[in-house]
Amino acid sequence: MAAELTVLTGAYDHDLTRLAEYRAVGGYRQLTRARKMKPPAVIEEISKASLRGRGGAGFPMGRKLGLVPPADKRQGPAYVVVNADESEPGAFKDREIIRRVPHRLLEGCLIAAHAIQAEAVFIYIRGEYLAEALVLEAAIDEARLAGLFGQVKVLLHRGAGAYICGEESALLESLEGNRGQPRPRPPFPPVAGLYMQPTLINNVQTVASVPAIIELGAERYAQLGVASAPGTVVYSLSGNVNRPGNYELPLGVTLRELVFEHGQGIADGRALKAIIPGGSSVPVFTPDQLDVQLDFDSVQAAGSYLGSAAVIVVDERACMVQLALRAEKFYVHESCGKCTPCREGTRWLVRLLEKIEAGDGTQADLDLVAEVCDRIEGKSLCALGDFAVWCVGSYLEKFRDEFQRHVDEGRCPYGGESSTEGVPAPSDQHTHTAMAQVPA
Amino acid sequence: MADARYDRIRKIAAKYPERRSAMMPALRLAQDAHGGWLPAEALREVADALDLAPAEVEAVATFYDMFNLEPVGRHLVEVCTNLSCALAGAKQVVDALEIELGIPPGETSNDGEVTFRLIECAGGCGYAPVVVVDHLYREPTRPEDVPGLVEELRGR
Amino acid sequence: MSSPELVNVVIDGRDVQVPKGTGMVETALAAGIEIPVFCYEPRLGSPIGACRMCLCEVDGMPKLQTACTMAAQDGLVLRTAQTSDKAAEGQDAVLEFILLNHPLDCPDCDKGGECPLQDLTFRWGPGNTRMRFPKRTFDKPIPISPLIGLDRERCILCYRCTRFSELVAEDGQLVAVNRGAQSVIATFEDEPYRAHFSGNVIEVCPVGALTSTTYRFRARPWEIQNVPTVCGLCPVGCNIWATTREGKLARILSRNHPEVDEGWLCDKGRFAYGHLRAEDRITAPLRRVRRRGFERVSWEEALDEAERGLRAAEGSVVVALSGGETVEQATALARLTQDGLGSRAAILPETSHPALDRFRAPLSAIRDADVCLVIGDDPVVERAPIVDLWLRQARRAGAEIITVHPAGSVPLEPGSAAWACAALTSADAPKELRPAVRSLKRAERVALVWSENDPTGGAYIAALAEKLGPKSSVYFLPRTPNGRGIAAAWGRADEPPADGEIGALIVSGDEVARDPGVRELAERARFVLAAVMFESEVTLWSHLVLPGTSYLERDGTTINLEGRPQRLRRAVTPPVDEELAFFAELAGRFGVEVDPWPGRLPDAHAPLPARTEADAPVKAPAARAPKRRRRGLEVVRYRGLFSGAAVARVPQLQFQRSLAEVELSAADALQRGIENGNLVRVSSNGTSRTLTARINRRLRAGVVRIENEHANGLEASVEVTHA
Repeated sequence: MAAELTVLTGAYDHDLTRLAEYRAVGGYRQLTRARKMKPPAVIEEISKASLRGRGGAGFPMGRKLGLVPPADKRQGPAYVVVNADESEPGAFKDREIIRRVPHRLLEGCLIAAHAIQAEAVFIYIRGEYLAEALVLEAAIDEARLAGLFGQVKVLLHRGAGAYICGEESALLESLEGNRGQPRPRPPFPPVAGLYMQPTLINNVQTVASVPAIIELGAERYAQLGVASAPGTVVYSLSGNVNRPGNYELPLGVTLRELVFEHGQGIADGRALKAIIPGGSSVPVFTPDQLDVQLDFDSVQAAGSYLGSAAVIVVDERACMVQLALRAEKFYVHESCGKCTPCREGTRWLVRLLEKIEAGDGTQADLDLVAEVCDRIEGKSLCALGDFAVWCVGSYLEKFRDEFQRHVDEGRCPYGGESSTEGVPAPSDQHTHTAMAQVPA
Repeated sequence: MADARYDRIRKIAAKYPERRSAMMPALRLAQDAHGGWLPAEALREVADALDLAPAEVEAVATFYDMFNLEPVGRHLVEVCTNLSCALAGAKQVVDALEIELGIPPGETSNDGEVTFRLIECAGGCGYAPVVVVDHLYREPTRPEDVPGLVEELRGR
Repeated sequence: MSSPELVNVVIDGRDVQVPKGTGMVETALAAGIEIPVFCYEPRLGSPIGACRMCLCEVDGMPKLQTACTMAAQDGLVLRTAQTSDKAAEGQDAVLEFILLNHPLDCPDCDKGGECPLQDLTFRWGPGNTRMRFPKRTFDKPIPISPLIGLDRERCILCYRCTRFSELVAEDGQLVAVNRGAQSVIATFEDEPYRAHFSGNVIEVCPVGALTSTTYRFRARPWEIQNVPTVCGLCPVGCNIWATTREGKLARILSRNHPEVDEGWLCDKGRFAYGHLRAEDRITAPLRRVRRRGFERVSWEEALDEAERGLRAAEGSVVVALSGGETVEQATALARLTQDGLGSRAAILPETSHPALDRFRAPLSAIRDADVCLVIGDDPVVERAPIVDLWLRQARRAGAEIITVHPAGSVPLEPGSAAWACAALTSADAPKELRPAVRSLKRAERVALVWSENDPTGGAYIAALAEKLGPKSSVYFLPRTPNGRGIAAAWGRADEPPADGEIGALIVSGDEVARDPGVRELAERARFVLAAVMFESEVTLWSHLVLPGTSYLERDGTTINLEGRPQRLRRAVTPPVDEELAFFAELAGRFGVEVDPWPGRLPDAHAPLPARTEADAPVKAPAARAPKRRRRGLEVVRYRGLFSGAAVARVPQLQFQRSLAEVELSAADALQRGIENGNLVRVSSNGTSRTLTARINRRLRAGVVRIENEHANGLEASVEVTHA
């Protein structure tokens, strides 16, 4: 198993937060190697390895690198930005990487910076990850003192609590000191990103995978995982399983293997009801889809997305309307408010779902939920609008009977006994200045 | 004091290609200096140091969950109730805290010691339910851990 | 510049050819197709794609795209809601979402009838709503200033107003706070939106969320007439619509002249019209009876009285002009006085150097400059507000803005402007000016802005432009709205006699009536004729007072700071006929024929005359660097925009007046232990004023800056201490 790790390699046998120990296991040697290569050669290697972004969209990192204008064809500096704003419900892998192998992340950053001849690296870490920020800051200080940065500036930037900043253009806005609201694209970040300069922006795990590519070489790296998506990924497993946690595995393991072998099955021998394969934003799977392989293309072929490889297991005790309502409240809370469909539509969905869960929903309300989902999907400025309806829309589609029973029976069929009964959600994001008065 | 903060913010700002990028570190600094929240005076200070209008700073501060625009208690107890934590019984932890602290989520105890609130996914899904105490995660926190946790806070 | 590459685009099956990069909303318009928008407004910076109203289907793209964020590329095939069901469904969805919480209180909304939301709902919107929950409510309207009311229920969060504040005026005062569905437009801590250009947010708002308190519930759109005219309150001459209802002025709107104002107005221009109906307005000719009393007289009696007074003056006549008169009014006065009475003695608002016309350029050319040099101690925004917006736009477009004044990027001593103009091209420029010299030399297009009073009428800045060559444009900011036109109409002026009795004094306009020098002349005059709107110290000294008119009540020609003649149109009728008629008739009594009808320029946006050729090199008087004062702090005074007779009579504008503040440099404040907001005593020989200290980190040490009104009685050098 250990041989197949590329990101968390050695993390459980050594204290790799310390520079000396990281170096002892070969750390920063790939940086030295990469720096001896010409920048285009580094890009070529990463492209050949077909490293796909681990943040959610699965966009090939090599293509992004290639879109950044080379140093002699651009005006002003280029930047590397690391998206460490891990906030997708269900995902906690970047946190593990930062805590365990901060130097591997930094090594990846510096290799990427060399590849595009970047002037600076900004690591945007979500504000809640205080302990992780301290670990990373210490690692940065150690590496800086050791002279590993060369001419590159490395800056850790802490967020302050906003899911939307995981969206790359919102992250850049936030890093520029603004409200974290997504930008329209084009232009895309490789052309005009941070301060409208060419910017490579990648997720933590993607960047932390880069040293392994240099070490193994693109060809050997490409033998890991599946052809369409080589390499390993850290799956975050949570929910009603016996052994939740992070598992770094080659891309393409089946859900069954992850949940029943690594996760050791459903807690207390209960029946599996639903699996969310890629964080709360993606369409839900049902137990008959356990043999789907967890890689970008396979999951997509099965009707969902690998997203951030955050697998949430739901057992039979959960009410899917309650789960939909809780998920949707999250998106209302996190909608940035910039574009109309997401801002207005998500709130409407919550009110409809509340009505249905309370047993007051009509057939028309049920149909309207599906319709409102349709009307948001594909029309918002960023993907948050899609996320906000993929969850609810798929719960409704796959568990239509359960939703229907809420309407037909005029009450939640679980009668207060579901595992998600009465789960509260944070009230609306703190509202300074005149609050909206919503009539009861 | 305020002058020293001005200088510190300017110093942080100098690390970035553009001064405005220091907005969040500056707000955090100001929040810490003003008892954990951002009164109008704090927003003005940040605006002054970053050569911005106070409204521009307020616009940013009110966007992010971790900036408090109202006073908070000496301790902050936050409970994640998002999907994975919900499935792992976050509701029971919230109930236990409500009983033990004597206040519902969203409020600060009468003695001004503890602010109790709910948060969205904190990234501890594999160790659910997650309770965050003064920005450090307690994973997992079960309902039976709550009395001890509250006692510990009251003692501190 | 090479002509841009043309590309072929297909919209709804129609072929259209536009320059590459043209926005798709404009491209569609070129094909005769309207794409509805709310948030899109090209004057507010790059598109943000927020409202989603312009969703269209694009060949080769699976998702609907916002037309506003797309640029024309060769071969692009786009389908709007008119030919694409998918786009129509998208637009329908967006409108349904926009209207979810919109109150639809159109019957009592000021925007009703001229509201984009109403229009687009009518044309594209769903006929009904499926929202069965109660709508969100707010307290409404919230006054965000005495001028503007905010209705958060109506707001559709298109962010036009906040983008104006952030990206056009750059005042940063109007922002969105909170996140998501809780986002609302707000000012800091609900303080008033106090900024020179705040009123523009009313006009950019596509719904009735931001409305004018001065227009609220005053008119319905079908009851009003919009008269195209020009603002007469500063030398920019912004093009405006004067909206009237039943013969009364109801509001001022912008009438976008892309070369002059780009559709923006300052709050003075937008809101000061209330002075037309001020209670203390003089509405009939008044003749002095006894020592202090006046009686109303008829137009004919006034003419007789004026004729009598002027004849008795026997050629000893002085005319004082305010600078707000039309060219025709000034001409009538000039003919009367020069040809009829034989005097050229005048107090003119300004002089204007003929060489300025050699470096003339539209204000919009500032935006295209790569270096802008602003020189002079008066803040540009107080003197000619729109110029400040053009300079900001230039900076955003990447231009270097060099400001030479005590709080500028080159913080010279006050009074350095004339000297600096010469120094900027001399081989041995002083150290602090050297970077500017290099920038000016390197630049391909230079905009030179002069912003303080200059007795030469612009010789220094014209001389600098001459040395820099034709790449430079000069924007000499006069003090008064039509100072250039008036100076030209009068021609050579003789100085008024320094002492002794004067036969007659003609005071034209309220501004000059407040001039202490004119007051002093009035005391020496046997006969004083004042044509003013309001009473003043001079009217008390007058023998005959004619009711003056406002720029909104006159027809005629006015010449702005660019040298562009523009037409003023009478929007509302004055209480009695205007000054031109009176002075033309009066001139007739002295055997001089003056056309009582103003010239008629076309109403359309006036063009700028071409640059003139050089006839002789510009000669600027020698200027020396001012000497550093050894003691005390030197006072720089400036006249705030929100001052003067009109502003004083509009209650809603009072909050905009300059605060009783003294700007101090950080060093001087520190040395005196003064903090921002402290009350301080500013004193010079025998006089002192208590003002609030405002620390300006850019201000040069040794200098304090105070608005005129608050600097009354202070001398050039002051001391500042804790009050």
